[in-house]
Order: sequence, then C-alpha cells, then structure tokens
Amino acid sequence: MNQTPKPAGAAAPSVDADNVAALHGVDFSIDGKVIFRGLDIAIRRGEVTAIMGPSGTGKTTLLRLITGQLRADSGRVLVEGRDVAGLSRRELYAMRRRMGMLFQNGALLTDLDVFENVAFPLREHAQLPERLLRNIVLSKLQAVGLRGAAQLRAQQLSGGMARRVALARAIVMDPQLLLYDEPFAGLDPISMGVVLRLIRSLNDALGISSVVVTHDVREISQIADSSYILSGGQVVASGTPAELREHPSPVVHQFMDGLADGPVSFHYPAPDYPAQLLDRSEGA
Amino acid sequence: MIGLLGELTDSLRRFLERLGAMTRFFGQVLWQSPAVLLRFRLVVEQVYNTGALSLVIIMTCGLFVGMVLGLQGHDLLQRFGSEEALGTGAALSLLKELGPVVTALLFAGRAGTALASELGLMRATDQLSAMEVMAVDPMRRVVVPRFLGGVIAMPLLTAIFIAVALFGVQLVGVQFLGVDQGSFWSQMRGAVELADVNEGLIKGVTFGIACSLIAVFEGYNAEPTAEGVGRATTRTVVISAVVTLVLDYILTALML
Repeated sequence: MNQTPKPAGAAAPSVDADNVAALHGVDFSIDGKVIFRGLDIAIRRGEVTAIMGPSGTGKTTLLRLITGQLRADSGRVLVEGRDVAGLSRRELYAMRRRMGMLFQNGALLTDLDVFENVAFPLREHAQLPERLLRNIVLSKLQAVGLRGAAQLRAQQLSGGMARRVALARAIVMDPQLLLYDEPFAGLDPISMGVVLRLIRSLNDALGISSVVVTHDVREISQIADSSYILSGGQVVASGTPAELREHPSPVVHQFMDGLADGPVSFHYPAPDYPAQLLDRSEGA
Repeated sequence: MIGLLGELTDSLRRFLERLGAMTRFFGQVLWQSPAVLLRFRLVVEQVYNTGALSLVIIMTCGLFVGMVLGLQGHDLLQRFGSEEALGTGAALSLLKELGPVVTALLFAGRAGTALASELGLMRATDQLSAMEVMAVDPMRRVVVPRFLGGVIAMPLLTAIFIAVALFGVQLVGVQFLGVDQGSFWSQMRGAVELADVNEGLIKGVTFGIACSLIAVFEGYNAEPTAEGVGRATTRTVVISAVVTLVLDYILTALML
C-alpha cells in the first residue's frame, strides 16, 4: 500500500480493475438524518479493507449499500464495475451469490443444525449430489475448525463458534467479496484471535477481497491492508494502519488512541449543565 | 374535541395504511404461491409445524366443547321433550359455527403466535437479512410456505375438532344422560346436508387464509426488537380473533 493519509473530502478513488467495489459521492439519509455525505471508498481486489469509525457512523449501512439492501439517495455504488442501483432484482440476486456476508451475531438459521446452515446456500442455489454437497460443507467447516460440530444445533453454539459457522456459510458459495459486520464484537480474546486469523487466511487462501467493518482498532490493524475511518458521514482518513496512526487529524488521533473526549464529544448535545440544575420549571 | 377528532383521523389513517400494506403483502404471497407449491416439501414441513403440533390442543378443546354442548343442549331440549334432536343440533352448530370459529381462535392462539414470533425473531436476529444477502428470497423460502401450511392445516384441524366434539356430545348425551343412541345418530344423518358441511369447509379455509396471513404479516413486519416481537404476537391473536368473528358473520349472512 502506497496510499498516503487523506483529509476529509479527498478525491474520489479511481475506478479500475483493481477495485472489486467502490462508492462514489454517495449520499444517504434515513428519516431525514444524514448518514453519508459524498462518501468515497474503494475496496481493492485481493485486500482486507477495514472500515472503522465511532458507533453510529453508518458502518453497517455501508455494507447494506454494497449488498444492495439499501439504495443510495445519490452517488454510485459499484460492485464489479456495475452500479448496484441499476441492477434488476434477478441481477442483484446473481451479484449477491458472488458475495458472502458475516453478520454481527452470525444470523444462523435457528431451525437448522450447523451442517444444514452451511449447506443452506448450496441447497437453495445448486442442485448438487448429496455426497458432493456433504464434502463441500465439511471442507468449509474444516476451514473454520468446526467439522466436529456439524450436528450441533445453532442454539448450542457459543458466540465465537456461531460466528465461525456463519463464516463457513459465507464462503460456501466461493464468493469474490466477503463482508464482515463487527466480526469481533462480544468475543473472548481466544475466539477473537481465531476469527482474526481466519479473516486473513481465508482472504489469502481463497484469493478473495474482504471488507471488515469494526471499531476494534488494535485487532484489525494486525491484518488490514488498508483502512478507512468514517466520521460525520464522510471518510476522514484512509491508508495503511501505520499511516493512520501518524495521521494529523484530531478525530483520527482520538479514534486510534481510544480517547474518551475530543472532536467526537463525550457528551451528547445538552443544555448548559449548571443552568439546567438551577432550572426550577423542569421536573418540578 | 378537535384533539379527539385528530386522534380518530390518525387512527383511521394508520388502520388504512396497515390494511393497504397487508393487501399488498397478500398479493405478493399469492403471486409466489405457485412456485412454492412446486417445492412442496417446504409446505409439508409447515403443515406439520402449524397443524400436527396443534392437534393436542385442538382435540382437547374439541372434546370439552362437545361435552359442554352435550350438557347444555340436553338441558335445553329436555324442556321441549326432544332430547333425541341433540345429535342434529350439536352437529349443525358444530359444522356451521362452533367448529370453524373455535378452531380458528385456537389456531390463532397456538399456531398464529408461533408463526408471528418465529418470523419476528428471524427479523430481529438478522436471519431474514442473511437470506437476502445469500440471494434467497425470504418471502419465497420462509413466508409463503408458512402461509400455505396454515391454509392447508386449518380446514383439517376444523374437521378433527368437529369429529372429536361430536364424540364429546355423544359421550355426555348418550352415555351419561341416556339419550337414545339410534335416534341421536339417525336424526343427525337425516338433518345434516352437504351444504352444511360445505359451509363449515368454506369457513375453515377462509379463516385459515385470514389467520395465517395475519400471523405471517405481523411477524414479517415486526419491529426487530424484543418489544416489537411481543407486540406482533399480541396483534396476531387480537386481530385474528376480531377478523374471524367479523368474517364469520359475513359468511353466515351470505350462506344462509
């Protein structure tokens, strides 16, 4: 990565064959609340790209824009060079077959066991002989270290195991692009280490591209090729983890060092504290 | 006064919006139904979930409804000296009214709530979103099979309810209270016509469509929180009960 740190409003990333997905000047708001304003992001092929930012900056929304579950108000969301907004339902579903997504809580189907959860996309999309299907599912479970848990129910799994099963399900269709939504949230250090290694090793072994949405700066810095930090609906910085650590922006500094107060205020907007305490009309 | 009027207008607007959304949802369900019927295994699973798993409650309630009907019917008919008509009266009331209506209310309470909470929880735990990302349409894979399962199960449950209830009537009327067995069955066979059975069947299917639709609609559109799922479940029971009774009146008026 030779990218240099970029300030807010940096030039749009170029569209070329190196990018598996890209967002150009994306505006998006929900119920009048602006989530993104002119967002520019490029997901480079074969790399692990981290999307970081304080809670509530729309990181998960970004993934939903890429999968076409949400449509941008304006701007373009490109996947494999095609604008997601211009796809028909059939084309959108065809595009999603080449994607995998790991949800924050795994989102395993609770009425199925581990094996059937991983087999689910194959059963829905491919008419495979049972023996071949079994071998594919077992190989994916082996990749995440849970071949022995194939017969367990989804409810019997710990948080880390559920996340790994969901990862096996996400790669079962051999996707080109893997999206991770907060993959480390709520995991113990061992499970976190396992998931961290899996993200990197799967990316390299399968030759895919990965987007990891997270606010676990330290963990993702170990494996990310490039990172974006979002704040206020825009990219405030991008570059390698090392470049971000040296970034001059106070927002980036606050986020990377985990400081409680700074440009992102500790306090939610409120009236003057002493004035509110002395105000007799309120709560009388 | 103006405030009250405003609230009423708001409520009416929300009701109409919801009705419109449900009608649109019903259209989508019907549109996808033929394709889902081709994967009949999915529907059969749901007939089992909504139908077979409701059997115990349907049979138990059917037995007691029949026994109460036997007691009350016998008490009433005894005043006119026509206890033998117990079979006819019980059969007609069960076939035309009690069977479909009580089964629908029980169905809403047992299967409807299960459907709504299951779909609501699937929404709250991102299972439906995960399906969408896996290029699997949740309407086709989850909603429509459950709807069709309910529609198929409901008339079957109604028939079972009526059969068990008639056994209950016979148990109390003939075995306990001494109504003549021959008269009980022969009068029933003589009085009950195919049209009466059809009326029950039509009601059973209609209530099945209504209750299943309400359950899957409320569950699928539940707010993805614990409260939202709870609200969806409650609404399923309340709306199903009201709609069942309103539809019952309309159908009865049409078929009399």
